[in-house]
Amino acid sequence: MKSAILTDLTKCIGCEACALACKEINELPVSAPMNMLSAYTWSAVEHRNGVNIRRQCMHCEEPACVSACPVAALEKTKEGAVIYDAGKCMGCRYCMVACPFGVPKYEWDKSIPTIQKCILCHEKALSQGKEPACTSACPTGATIFGERAALLREAQKRIDENPGSYVPHIYGMREAGGTSVFYLSAVPFADLGFPGNLKEDPYPKLTWKVLSKIPNIVSTGGVLLLGIWWIINRRIKLQDENPPSV
Amino acid sequence: MKLSLPKPTFWTMVLAFIWILGIYSAFTRFYYGLGTATNLSDQFPWGIWIGFDILVGVGLAAGGFVVAATVYIFNLKSYKPIARSTILTAFLGYLLVIGALLFDLGKPYNVWHPLVMWNPHSVMFEVGWCVMLYTTVLFLEFLPVLFERFRLERPLRIIRSITVPLVIVGVLLSTLHQSSLGTLYVIVPDKLHPLWYSGILPLFFFISAVAGGLAMVIFESYLSARAFGKELEFKLLSQLSRIIVVVLSLYLLLRLQDMGSQGALKYIFDFSTESIYFLIEVGLGVVLPILLFLTPRIRNNTAGLFLGAVFVLTGFVMNRLNVAITGMTASAGVEYIPSWMEVAVTASIVAAGIVIFRYAAKYLPIFSDEEPMGVHQPPLVAAGKSGKVAMGILGVILLAMVIGLGIGLTKDKLPDPGMRIEAAVVQPAGSLKLPDPIVYEMGESSPGAVTFSHENHVDPSAPQCKTCHSGLFKMRPEKAGALGSIQMDLLYEKKQCGVCHDGEQAFNVEDNCEVCHVAAE
Repeated sequence: MKSAILTDLTKCIGCEACALACKEINELPVSAPMNMLSAYTWSAVEHRNGVNIRRQCMHCEEPACVSACPVAALEKTKEGAVIYDAGKCMGCRYCMVACPFGVPKYEWDKSIPTIQKCILCHEKALSQGKEPACTSACPTGATIFGERAALLREAQKRIDENPGSYVPHIYGMREAGGTSVFYLSAVPFADLGFPGNLKEDPYPKLTWKVLSKIPNIVSTGGVLLLGIWWIINRRIKLQDENPPSV
Repeated sequence: MKLSLPKPTFWTMVLAFIWILGIYSAFTRFYYGLGTATNLSDQFPWGIWIGFDILVGVGLAAGGFVVAATVYIFNLKSYKPIARSTILTAFLGYLLVIGALLFDLGKPYNVWHPLVMWNPHSVMFEVGWCVMLYTTVLFLEFLPVLFERFRLERPLRIIRSITVPLVIVGVLLSTLHQSSLGTLYVIVPDKLHPLWYSGILPLFFFISAVAGGLAMVIFESYLSARAFGKELEFKLLSQLSRIIVVVLSLYLLLRLQDMGSQGALKYIFDFSTESIYFLIEVGLGVVLPILLFLTPRIRNNTAGLFLGAVFVLTGFVMNRLNVAITGMTASAGVEYIPSWMEVAVTASIVAAGIVIFRYAAKYLPIFSDEEPMGVHQPPLVAAGKSGKVAMGILGVILLAMVIGLGIGLTKDKLPDPGMRIEAAVVQPAGSLKLPDPIVYEMGESSPGAVTFSHENHVDPSAPQCKTCHSGLFKMRPEKAGALGSIQMDLLYEKKQCGVCHDGEQAFNVEDNCEVCHVAAE
């Protein structure tokens, strides 16, 4: 199944239990601030305009970071997580540039740094059939784990049943081609620092449109250049052999 | 030959100064990490090492493939006198770019990974491969100079016979990665300012690299002529300037047309920071040199030619920096100004390039258009046996590239329907979901087991989870074990429960055993 997370911002009390649980399971330093994502905080709770906003990797259906990585260190798993292999990474940071949500972070203070981001507890929970640490810790059910399609239905149901309580938008359903982390909110997402106007087409498509032309460019270009060289040289050769008679 | 230190002239002093700062910066970068040496951040992960060293460095080396194609494929032999120095510049340029890349990569020792860990969907993967292959091609194109210098006739003949396939591969690889540097930014439509973002950035990068590379040929020929007292190939360079006019005009037209179709023209004159940088880039770097080179009086004058080339180069450098830095600033939300150490490393690399070029020019036959040993060879027509072999190899490489890409395309995994995860039940959200009571078994000499209840400790209307988690008590059940064992000694020292149960915030633990401990029956 494809797993996902639904975070209902109207139900979040800002206790940061999710952020703490994340730090515990991933052995991240608790001293790093928990109100913004960093190499040492993969799950954060930001307090903005009176709203508590849980931040984490969106685990896109077709992630820009995965397509950007030159060594395939990032991977989208069957279970839905976008995971990272530090052993492959060469540290080019193109994933950070490419991610439309600005999620991957870097260990700038280390001499041998790696990319750091939420991996949906892939190894420690998801692959063992358990739910991620963050959702299991949430005391209000503001952030819940489940099957992607079921969570989308649940989100739509909440909007339909309480139209006054939510802006009619499931953030993450269409953004960047669809993600695995959805948000519901009473306040427009643009006011909460969520990137607005994101493309609804997956981002990797943009570069693939160009890259997929390479075989054509190589074959056409190669033939063209060889042809030009052959024609020009043959003409010069013929001219040299049979100088135009006077 | 006697080794001696160069005389301390003004320029050697400047060089020494730059390199000392560069060495210090290099040490800092590799010992303490990127964060200490650079002003890069999570918001701004790419700085001048990418924007200048890579984007500009590769672009300005474009003269190499343009001139190589002109001489060897289009057979315009009149350009041969500038071919060698141009190819040397390109070769050095790529070596320096690779050097600079090692500074920027977080794990430079993994730089070879793209060779074996493939991701054909990645633009960076393509750039990496092309740069590696093209640097090899440039090395082979440069080899004849070394062979001539050391009078190695046989190798010289072999390498000459494969010149044409080499140049063709070189042109293809250059076309691919010059444009790919632009493709890198195609994936950031929301981050790059509309004055620079375009779906056809790769085309713009390619065309501007041709213009920039040609301007670099003029720039460097002029300086070498002065430095080495050689005669300037003036007629050739003047012709190049006319080609630059055509290329730049095409570039300007395409860019304006593309901006028009994207509705970005309105940003040109809004006099934001971006618009000012854009106006300088296009005004000084594109429009002005077109006008200069169109004026015969300037074109036919050495200084005028040089000046025009300088403007083209300025525009080129600004364009790459605008894409990498100016255009990304607004979306990043932070301003990036390179640290002095970033500048020192870049300056050291540029200085190294100049020094190596000087020495190469001094000791290698790069300005001689004569071919001391190959004059009577029918130059490039008869490819011979080794030429055919090379063509074969070229074919195999092309085939491998196509097949590789094909495999990459079909590798797209389909979801496996057999995969199952025990789904957590979607719970109706609402009331506070508190964990079940936790029972602490009796320890030695304990009066009884203790049951901790969240309900008694948490005010559901204003829960303060952080009071106890995760400093005092771990939250994950499997982790709780370690800190889960409560010890009365610690409580008396105002640790664990004792932090609050001190008689002031909550009841004292010393006099209230029976409140928590329930004796076994």
